[in-house]
Amino acid sequence: MPIVSPGTPPAPVPRLAAALLRLLLPRAERDEVLADVRAEYAGRLGRDGAASARRWLWRQVVASAPALLGWSWRRAWTGFEPPANAYSPGGPMLRSWIADARYAARRLVARPGYALVAVLTLALGIGGVAAIYGVARPVLLDPLPYAHAREVGSFWMPFSWTEQEFLHLRGRIPGFRQVAAYTSGDVTLRDGDAPARLVPGLSTSAELFEVLGATPLLGRGLRPGDDAQGAEPVVVLGYGLWQELGGEPSIVGSRLRLDGAERTVVGVMPRGFWFPDPAVRLWAARPLDPEGQNGSYSLVGRVAPGVDVRRLEPQLRQLTAMLDERFDYPADWDKTRDAAVTPLREALLGRLHPGLIATLGAMALILLIACANVAALMLGQVEGRSAELAVRSALGADRRRLTQQLVVEALLLGVGAAAAGAVLAAVGFRVLARALPIGAWGESARFDWTLFAAALAVAVVAVLLVVLAPSVSLWRGDLRAGLGGARTAGIQGRGGRMERGLVVAQVALAMLVASGAALLVRSVRNLYAIDPGIRTEGVAVVDVAGDRDVPSAERRRTLAALLAAIDALPGVRGSGAALKLPLRGGGNSFDVRVPGRPDVEHTTTFFRVATPGYFEALGMTLRDGRMFDASDRPYTPADSVGFTMSILVNQTFVRRYLPDRNPIGVVVEGGFGAPQRIVGVLADVAEGGLTDEPTPARYYLASQAPWWGSTASLVIRTARAEDAEGVLDAARAVVQRVAPDYAVQEATTMRRVLDRAVGPARQIMALLSLLAGLALVLGAVGIYGVVAHFALRRRRDWAVRVALGLRPARVVGSIVAQGAALVGVGIVAGVVGSAALARLLASLLFGVGAVDPPALAAAAGALLVVGVAAALVPAWRTGATNPAVVLREQ
Amino acid sequence: MSGRHPSATRDPLPAGSPHAPLGVLEEQVVVAVLRARGDAFGMEVRREIERATGRELAVGAVYATLDRLEAKGLLVSTRATVDGASRRLFAVTPDGARALADTRTMRERLWHGVDLARLHALAAG
Repeated sequence: MPIVSPGTPPAPVPRLAAALLRLLLPRAERDEVLADVRAEYAGRLGRDGAASARRWLWRQVVASAPALLGWSWRRAWTGFEPPANAYSPGGPMLRSWIADARYAARRLVARPGYALVAVLTLALGIGGVAAIYGVARPVLLDPLPYAHAREVGSFWMPFSWTEQEFLHLRGRIPGFRQVAAYTSGDVTLRDGDAPARLVPGLSTSAELFEVLGATPLLGRGLRPGDDAQGAEPVVVLGYGLWQELGGEPSIVGSRLRLDGAERTVVGVMPRGFWFPDPAVRLWAARPLDPEGQNGSYSLVGRVAPGVDVRRLEPQLRQLTAMLDERFDYPADWDKTRDAAVTPLREALLGRLHPGLIATLGAMALILLIACANVAALMLGQVEGRSAELAVRSALGADRRRLTQQLVVEALLLGVGAAAAGAVLAAVGFRVLARALPIGAWGESARFDWTLFAAALAVAVVAVLLVVLAPSVSLWRGDLRAGLGGARTAGIQGRGGRMERGLVVAQVALAMLVASGAALLVRSVRNLYAIDPGIRTEGVAVVDVAGDRDVPSAERRRTLAALLAAIDALPGVRGSGAALKLPLRGGGNSFDVRVPGRPDVEHTTTFFRVATPGYFEALGMTLRDGRMFDASDRPYTPADSVGFTMSILVNQTFVRRYLPDRNPIGVVVEGGFGAPQRIVGVLADVAEGGLTDEPTPARYYLASQAPWWGSTASLVIRTARAEDAEGVLDAARAVVQRVAPDYAVQEATTMRRVLDRAVGPARQIMALLSLLAGLALVLGAVGIYGVVAHFALRRRRDWAVRVALGLRPARVVGSIVAQGAALVGVGIVAGVVGSAALARLLASLLFGVGAVDPPALAAAAGALLVVGVAAALVPAWRTGATNPAVVLREQ
Repeated sequence: MSGRHPSATRDPLPAGSPHAPLGVLEEQVVVAVLRARGDAFGMEVRREIERATGRELAVGAVYATLDRLEAKGLLVSTRATVDGASRRLFAVTPDGARALADTRTMRERLWHGVDLARLHALAAG
């Protein structure tokens, strides 16, 4: 064991530990304390050995750190320096920062107006960005809750595959390890004596969870055979539904009454799992029928790891050849063309992106405007302090130190803004989650601490942006010259170029937001201007869903009773029911054969099945022939041969298939099996989407159709337009009383159906208009600040001129012109940028080009008005100032 | 500050040093400075306390406490060269002495009436 004698230098202390202590110690005491530590270390090395000495040293570092940090902080904060250190003051760099923080805090307290405006302005931007980030994160950033997410793709033409096609391909789809088919499968749930309620669900083939790589929390997923005909019906519950049903693990193996039939619960999915969207709460194995021709399925498939689902052309060619061999497709539904697989993330979330990104982008612009605003305010402050800065510089402060002070001030503002912004984000989060067109993701968005982290991160970025301009001005300017100028403050009123530049930037950014909002306003107006061909005011809509295993005849009886009860409600003028309402997307197509037109083989039309009152309730217009009437006798099972159905067709049907003939009396075929005689022609109705091209459609009478589905939409026309909303509760009650086995899927109005058909553009427009308003306000504050500062700087100048005979009105005019010029330059810059922004909105626009002169003009006009109004206030104040008062000031 | 000896009175709230009672480490440091009689620099103070208490002390805590006590005016330091190295040598100020004395008095008053025999019996289990 080495022995340290008093004469030998102490053994070297491990370097890292020494460096850490050195870092933590005040400068004046550093050598003394380190010598103490070295001596003790050497003693222990000799006495106890190297390992023990090292352990002691590290214990010392760890145990001393809090005390040493506190020591440095206290010295910096109190300024205490022991007289013994007179020539070697202690304290690390922290000290100058703390001194600056105290100074900045005093300055901000002394200027509460400036501090408040700066903090609130930044807080608006920070809070907004943080809130939108919080809402958008699950859609834009969070990984999908599936282990195989990267290997799964969605097949082309979703919601159009049949069980027959899927079973034909199953197990031998080239390039894919496994493929699952699913279709929406909302079910009614009867829990005890409570009325039936609708649970959004999915009917799926057994492969779904394996394709996704999702493991249940309890029990098992679906397994091969669960989807075979005659297999025991099984269902997997979502976490939320499981919780609602008691949250007991014993639910696995128990039975639930779904759609009127018992199903065994085999598993529960973990919290956070969703597919294909968070609204879906259960997944039921669907017994697949090899002859099933209902084209409503989507396919998702999993490829081998490392394979890009977008690069499967050769495999897809083989696949389409297999389809082509077996199936014969009408041109509109030809699955052998345009085969493509979309990565799952894009397929599930892609449509939500444009709206979110546009809103996030607009919010980021607001933050930039806020930063420019605060930077301009700060610049004004720096300029106002030019004499003080010059004196400090003359006394030896270097620019680095002066910049540090600016940074500290901005940091203080940033901290305040982050706190206020976090509160704003917390408040705005729910509102935004509902206002953004992200459907179930908005409902399931959760507020968490990451929002505060986001607010803080955004605040740091904002502070750096804010401090940029004043710092550049500080480094560029000649500080000492300010000292000379201070004596004649006011006479030389030039400068402020950077301040003006910031205002121009603000106006340009506001122009971007405002023009985006104007584009959407015009676009949405165009959408509402489309005539959907139906009455949208004064019509209530109640969607009901019943059990699946009920004969059509019984369904029809229940429905008739329901409609009769609804007709008896006060304020109701008439009602009807249909399997599918207009404006809710395409689907439900039958092939059609028209006599004398062999060329229309292999084409389809929409088919709609409705009760007679439906057409009247929706205000559909008859163009030719007659409506359904008593002469259209109901179908009975005895009619299976020789029965001719009566149908109505739309004008597009006539234009496309019977252009040169009188359509009334023509008998067409295809669909229900029975021949169909056209008895009337209806004006075109937007049966698919609002903006779809008119599509041929056939309308069948519910009493003549051989089957009636388990879901139906009831339309209720009220005597007064404003009563549509009010009748919904009564209609719900009627459903519960007359048809307790039916669950109300949705109770809404035709107006809201139209709103939904207008699409995400409507919601984004509302948000963007709000943000544009905010941008205008912030822009106005910026313009006001800069013009007021400009007017103040030249106050003496103006006073001399007015004293010499200049009319005050000219003063006002001149100052306002300054403001207007800034706005003008900003608008021009904004117009250039808005062309780029509009491309981002392209998918939300309808009937307007990306560069739309009226929208740009509206945005520019609004900015000009706001800008001139903001400049008028300081201009008027300057014009009204008595020059004698100003001249006596100095 | 009153001149009377606090322990001579039964006044429940005697006017004492505003710094009393000192914290445990503060008290130990001031006592160690007193005991060192002129050689009170950081290392010596730390060793003195470690010797008396038999516990290891964090070097940083000792130096930070010495500095804090000086900032409060309870100690005063001067620079001197000891064994060829520059050190801060500490001495107790009158305020420091009063604070220490008051701390001791308070403690004694608190202990007054505690049955020590019973305490030891309790501690012995």
